[in-house]
Amino acid sequence: MKTISLIVNGKSASVQVDPSKPLLWVLREDLGLTGTKFGCGMALCGCCTVHLNGDAVRSCVTPIGRAEGQRVTTIEGLSGDVSHPIQQAWLAEQVPQCGYCQPGQMMSAACLLAANPNPNDADIDNAMAGNLCRCGTYQRIRRAIHRAAGIANAKGGHRR
Amino acid sequence: MSQTHFSRRFFLQSTAAAGGGLLLSCIFKPAELVHAQSPGAPAKDIALNAWLRISADDRVTIICSQAEMGQGIMTTLPAVLADELGADWARVQLENSPADPAYRNPRINWQFTGNSESTTAFYDVMRTMGASAREMLIAAAADRWKVKPETCRAENGRVIHRASRRSFKFGDLAEAAARKTPPANPPLKPASQWKLVGKSLPRVESRAKINGSAIFGMDFVTPGMVYAAVRTSPVFGGKVAAVDKASVERFGVIDVVPIPDGIAVVAKSYWQAKQALDELKVTFEDGSGASVSSNTLKARYRAAMDGKNWLLVHATGNRDAIPHPYLDVPLDKQALPAGDRSEPAETYPTMVSQEYESQFLAHATMEPMNCTAHVTADGCEVWGPTQGQEMAQNVVCQMLGLPKDRVRISRTLLGGGFGRRLTADFVAQAVAASKAVGMPVKVIWSREEDIQHDIYRPAVLHRITAAIDEFGRLRAMAHRLVSPSILQYVSPPSVTDIYDPSCLEGLLETHYDIPNTRVDFQLLKVPVPTSVMRTTGYGPNIFAFESFIDELAYNKGADPYTYRRELLSKNPRALAVLDLATEKSGWRNPAPAGHFRGIAFAEAFRTFTCHVVELSVDKSGSIKIHRVVVVADAGTVLDRGITTNSLEGGVVFGLSYAVQSEITFDKGRVVQSNFHDYEIPRMPEMPPVEVYFIDSGARPLGGTGEVGPVTFIPALANAVFAATGRRIRSLPLNKHGFRLS
Repeated sequence: MKTISLIVNGKSASVQVDPSKPLLWVLREDLGLTGTKFGCGMALCGCCTVHLNGDAVRSCVTPIGRAEGQRVTTIEGLSGDVSHPIQQAWLAEQVPQCGYCQPGQMMSAACLLAANPNPNDADIDNAMAGNLCRCGTYQRIRRAIHRAAGIANAKGGHRR
Repeated sequence: MSQTHFSRRFFLQSTAAAGGGLLLSCIFKPAELVHAQSPGAPAKDIALNAWLRISADDRVTIICSQAEMGQGIMTTLPAVLADELGADWARVQLENSPADPAYRNPRINWQFTGNSESTTAFYDVMRTMGASAREMLIAAAADRWKVKPETCRAENGRVIHRASRRSFKFGDLAEAAARKTPPANPPLKPASQWKLVGKSLPRVESRAKINGSAIFGMDFVTPGMVYAAVRTSPVFGGKVAAVDKASVERFGVIDVVPIPDGIAVVAKSYWQAKQALDELKVTFEDGSGASVSSNTLKARYRAAMDGKNWLLVHATGNRDAIPHPYLDVPLDKQALPAGDRSEPAETYPTMVSQEYESQFLAHATMEPMNCTAHVTADGCEVWGPTQGQEMAQNVVCQMLGLPKDRVRISRTLLGGGFGRRLTADFVAQAVAASKAVGMPVKVIWSREEDIQHDIYRPAVLHRITAAIDEFGRLRAMAHRLVSPSILQYVSPPSVTDIYDPSCLEGLLETHYDIPNTRVDFQLLKVPVPTSVMRTTGYGPNIFAFESFIDELAYNKGADPYTYRRELLSKNPRALAVLDLATEKSGWRNPAPAGHFRGIAFAEAFRTFTCHVVELSVDKSGSIKIHRVVVVADAGTVLDRGITTNSLEGGVVFGLSYAVQSEITFDKGRVVQSNFHDYEIPRMPEMPPVEVYFIDSGARPLGGTGEVGPVTFIPALANAVFAATGRRIRSLPLNKHGFRLS
């Protein structure tokens, strides 16, 4: 057990945990942030995607020790009021079906747009290939990313 | 269905309608999300029937009986009720139903969500409940104004007196309305007055799914809750032989306890429980299941197909038109259609016979199986992502020897269902673990446990034989089908030793005009668990049937669309679907250079559907799908946006079935374990999908949750044939060197 401090969604957090415990389970169990989902435990499905210092990582295979003193953003940190361009686009396109994979999809998409404000379909395919959706919402995700790019550009840039 | 058929119980006040029940952990409003742990219902709520409460402060609460797993039912059905009621949709809030007979599917008298039944079974219930409550509110207002009820109408949450333009809010009338006798046959609004039905409503829970606040089973928390990681016998039918608890002492877990066919490690954290489970020394007694492999299963299918032990389940015309070596064993002589007869086999110049095979599959919902249970001295509470609330309640009552009123099953959102969550195996584990440790326990399956302990879509083997006369006309068809049970666990009363109706789906409602047909069936016993999965029997059966029809068209040198059209010439509803699909896909025009098209048509889940797939295949077997057109006639589409989602997603599910996914067995175990070896489609493989509807007005309504993959699969295989000349008769395509690009 070790005390580990990090910044989650802009706020300092401190947890007493085994440093090998994955960030996913620290977020869900120790910090009560259940928006980030468990899907496979092997970085194969992308349900657990969060941002670590702005980069998309699979939190199911990221030991909390690696996040010590770092900035972590989860779906709850995009915005609670659905105001982030990605969230607005997801709502407008009515992307989610069961919705379980969508936090991971949105976190990957937010990262893509921060790096590439005007992605084409091939860019989207590359960036999103690690996020599985069993309901098959890929067509809407693609549309929503294009829409979010438009929203963010109109607002003067992307944030993550 | 006439409204008078509704059981009286719909009008009675259920535990939920009475407002006494502990309901779901979140309440949704179409306009905004309200989040509350175990809200219960404020005392001032007044129930007008089992589905509807109205409070003095004008809150309208509609009970949602069907599990929301992505199909949008939590939006669609309440909107039907609200439309009839004349409610203000923005002020409606929704609650999930408890397990209660009031919420049983009236077609089957059982509370569940599956078989694409929800709209079909509940559409008339929702309309009648909304209309009945509306009439009660109007009657209460008319009393107060001392006017005739016919001079009033309900709109936007108010009852309005037309002439005087006076109005009352629903909340002002609820108490008096509740004292009125519910009319059994209230007038229903004509479609022209619908404000919600037939539109594209935003899903009521989409905001919660977009900001991370939606509560799936995995996310449910209750005070004092601990976690369990589980492992069941890797071999089907195996048992735990020995457990060495000392091997995990150093992890400081709460306990290691038995669950049905396995073991659970209970700890304060799932991660801690999982680490301990991985180190736990447990030995299993494999039992006879250990000899099962994909090869031994294949041999069973082969022996059945080549045997003579067939059950005749359907026949038209001369059932013996095609010679066969076995005796007729009719399922029920009375059930054979009038006019079917046995005459000597006829002689045809051309006989065509082919076999088709669909594979075993796992559901692989994105949310792994999980459930939370709390067994106390008084009873048991369960919170979980279940499609089968009544099944879960029955199983828990049986496990604990409790009456139903002591076992409460609360339904969360489901991170995918596809039929997997109809059974209560994961519920039973949580109950066993909670009982053992005396605390609320959340059981979470690893993805490996989820893939290796699914209840699988069974593999199905078909042989279809056709007789063609000297003019090239299709005169007779004989279809033999070998399938393990689909309904054995989810609907035991529908299954006998030799018959399972779900296995035959799609073969008894063929619309092609073939004068002499027969369908023979063998229910195969297999030592692996099999159950329903999105498309149930329709998936494998329509793949076989529509591939075969395509072969017959090519054999004749006919266009596959024209060939089908001729066989459907007496069925205007079918022709309209087929024609629209070919019109939208440009079928009559040549495809772009290097592109090839395939088509398939069927009725499935009471919906008529047709897919046209346009693709190209390179020399390496890489398939690029350029375009998918799907047309569906479900009678009336209740929500166009949500149904479009479902059909778009159905294509992705179909790609999994058709190209990528397969469960195989070795030494009694499932070989695949996670998404690296159980592949499902990813973003780059998503083709553009166009969805078109025909609202023919047909009743009963067709289901749309499962229909999406049904005709896509054969349309894809038929397009692959058009492109390559290779007729693929066993799925998935990746066994034959094909892959998606």
